[in-house]
Amino acid sequence: MDKKPTVAEKVSPLKTVQETPSVLREPVIAPLVTYPIEVVVPEVRQQTPAVGQRATRLDGHLHGLGQTRYIDDLSFPGMLYAKIKRAGVASARIKSIDTKEAEAMQGVMAVVTGKDVPCNSFGPSLKDQPVLAYERVFHAGDGVAAVAAVTEQIAAEALEKIKVDYEVLTPVLDPLESLKLETPGVHAPSANIYQSKIIKKGDIEKGFAASDHIIEGHFRTQMVEHVPLEPHATIAMWDPNGRVTIYSTLGRITLGRADVARTLGIPVSRIRIVATIVGGNFGGKNEITTEPVLALLSKKTGRPVKSVFTRPDEFIASTTRHPLIMDYKTGVTKDGKIQARKIRLVLDGGAYCSWSETTLGKACILSAGPYNIDNLYAEAYVVYTNKTMTGAMRGFGAPQVCFAYESHMDDIAALLNMDPLDIRLINVFSEGSLSPTGQTLQSVAIKESLLQAAKRFGWNGKGSADAGANLLAEENANTNMVRA
Amino acid sequence: MKRRGRGMACMWYPIGFTVSANPSAAVVKIDEDGTATLLTGTVETGQGSLTVLAQIVAQELGIATDDVQVVSADTDATPMDTGAIASRTTYVTGNAARLAAEKAKEILFEVAAPMLGVKADQLEAKDHKIVVKGYPQRNVHIGDVASHARVVMGQPPIGSASFNPATVPLDPETGQGKPFGTYVYATQIAEVDVDDETGEVEVIRIVASHDCGTPINPMLVEGQVEGGISMGVGFALEEEILFDSQGRQINPNLTNYIIPTSLDMPEVEVDIVDNYDPTGPFGAKGVGEPTLVPTAAAIVNAIYNAVGVRITSLPATAEKVFAAIQAKRDAQPKQITA
Repeated sequence: MDKKPTVAEKVSPLKTVQETPSVLREPVIAPLVTYPIEVVVPEVRQQTPAVGQRATRLDGHLHGLGQTRYIDDLSFPGMLYAKIKRAGVASARIKSIDTKEAEAMQGVMAVVTGKDVPCNSFGPSLKDQPVLAYERVFHAGDGVAAVAAVTEQIAAEALEKIKVDYEVLTPVLDPLESLKLETPGVHAPSANIYQSKIIKKGDIEKGFAASDHIIEGHFRTQMVEHVPLEPHATIAMWDPNGRVTIYSTLGRITLGRADVARTLGIPVSRIRIVATIVGGNFGGKNEITTEPVLALLSKKTGRPVKSVFTRPDEFIASTTRHPLIMDYKTGVTKDGKIQARKIRLVLDGGAYCSWSETTLGKACILSAGPYNIDNLYAEAYVVYTNKTMTGAMRGFGAPQVCFAYESHMDDIAALLNMDPLDIRLINVFSEGSLSPTGQTLQSVAIKESLLQAAKRFGWNGKGSADAGANLLAEENANTNMVRA
Repeated sequence: MKRRGRGMACMWYPIGFTVSANPSAAVVKIDEDGTATLLTGTVETGQGSLTVLAQIVAQELGIATDDVQVVSADTDATPMDTGAIASRTTYVTGNAARLAAEKAKEILFEVAAPMLGVKADQLEAKDHKIVVKGYPQRNVHIGDVASHARVVMGQPPIGSASFNPATVPLDPETGQGKPFGTYVYATQIAEVDVDDETGEVEVIRIVASHDCGTPINPMLVEGQVEGGISMGVGFALEEEILFDSQGRQINPNLTNYIIPTSLDMPEVEVDIVDNYDPTGPFGAKGVGEPTLVPTAAAIVNAIYNAVGVRITSLPATAEKVFAAIQAKRDAQPKQITA
């Protein structure tokens, strides 16, 4: 049977603490740094003319010394910490949100939900995204309530005390399903196809008729995250003049200020956004996320409020790269000249539009590749699904279509038994070429880049794209040799 | 065994927004010691854009990079900017910064002209001096001119300007029009090793030849290319957000969502193509996004070259590559020796 500890035993841990060398109990204080009055400026920063110099960065110096102040390094008197509760279901009707227990917790200063947001929608083109989900949840990362507390731990505990009653609905997850007319609308009554684009040039049927070979390719890409080193971070401070100052990791403060003004229903003159040095953007920080929520929490508490996304928040509640489903069909002459190309792109747009309009447009315009193709038809659709929202990400659809058009190009080279470099050189743009949208191109350097890369790499030419096809013949030969 | 393969991919990529206005404004102030301050609403997100903007202003004023202080990203203090997006900072914000510096410089020239006894259009800014063209010995230090402009002429040298790329809307039926101001071009060639017993792909080397117009700062261009390639390697081989049957992410953490580390980085050789775009600041275009555009395609083509299997969906994980090799082996009729 367990013996209850005596009073003396209970005291002993205290004694241990008292006996611990004082240095272990003192708060950690960074060593004193005295900055030199004379700063050594690298010569390259002092040279004229300035353009073309390999000038070092001032912020690089700070990064190297560990002296960069990111938002997480900033603190203000009385500052609170905010956390946002995520839905955890991909599609649902919110029947009720009970925040009473969380609000009663010691250290919790304020709780807000979607009903507290004056104008609960935003977005760079379609304003289809709520600041905090209210009535409906469209993807599992939707925020449903936010808490401001004196510590991050209390805020996290308070989230557990918030009870949300959902009527769970069947989510639409497959973009090709979503494309079908009979599939229920993710944002009914709006259609699931929320943007489309067509580029038409010449006559593809004529082009295909004039081709010696017709080759098809089907390609898909996945959803990926930006994974910036610094996650989304914000500090909002509402002041007695009714003005709010927001320190933010936003890459676009002008648009961000307009969005915050709209969601809060106040003039832009009442908002100041300061973007600190941002630890990586890659497109993921091009629109507001928690800024209006933090502003409301700050207004409600009269205190500065900080929030820094956890890594899971970053994955489930920020934008991601559009997965694409890409169908290519190309007609080519036997000597490798492309006569016609037909392309269909389907973009998984996730739960909200975000930067889908731009991604769709760029993907469609760029989808034929940097090639002179007189007869072209490209169509692109972006559809809603109940998945993490897709938005701006380095390349806006271009890495996806490049994967398709360049894989397709090597398939054509293999079919014609041509070197991958040669088939590209035959078809690429040159100065004054007309783009798929009919734009006259200037400062075109694609041929130069191909030749320079080939030279530097030691591309020795006249190779087939699928030299590896010999692998199996070789293996068979080896097996036969052993058998013999 | 490991099979070596090589693959190439080329690309084109636009600078700035698709048709829609995406302006930048800038303010340049020249101080009495010949240094300058640039006010810009864009944000430094790690790419080195503020250094590039400082170099552009310095070039226009004939001073050094270190002489330009950049104040950025405060909606109360800095002029409007569309922001760090669409590979537009060097081209669009850079053009605005250059034009603002040019306007401030015009004030310096007006002030310096009587000091040097010539007309303003006979002057140029070079090596911290306002110089009479063709007569380098006839000059005044830019700081003296700036000071004279303030104290004597009562005309502080400040300039402001904005820039927006020229575009033409696309026809909704045919998509014809001029959606972008300019484009950049690039080629990357990858060398990979594919283990035909496990499907594992190792990227050995990538040669990247990029056009960015004039490289304002070649070191920062190289940095962008290297960073883009690391992102491209992740996109090609490792990264994928996975969902359960109910639409919830199952790997929202860096333990199960794998991004490339320094150990996964291939040897990268960056080559900058000599080019000049007359619409860019000092001929510059941009480089941010395009650096990762061809990487995955080049790697997948190299896999094809190594083992003869075409991976049609990304990422090309070891499992996927191995399954494709197996499928190819199974499909191959076995040769039986007599």
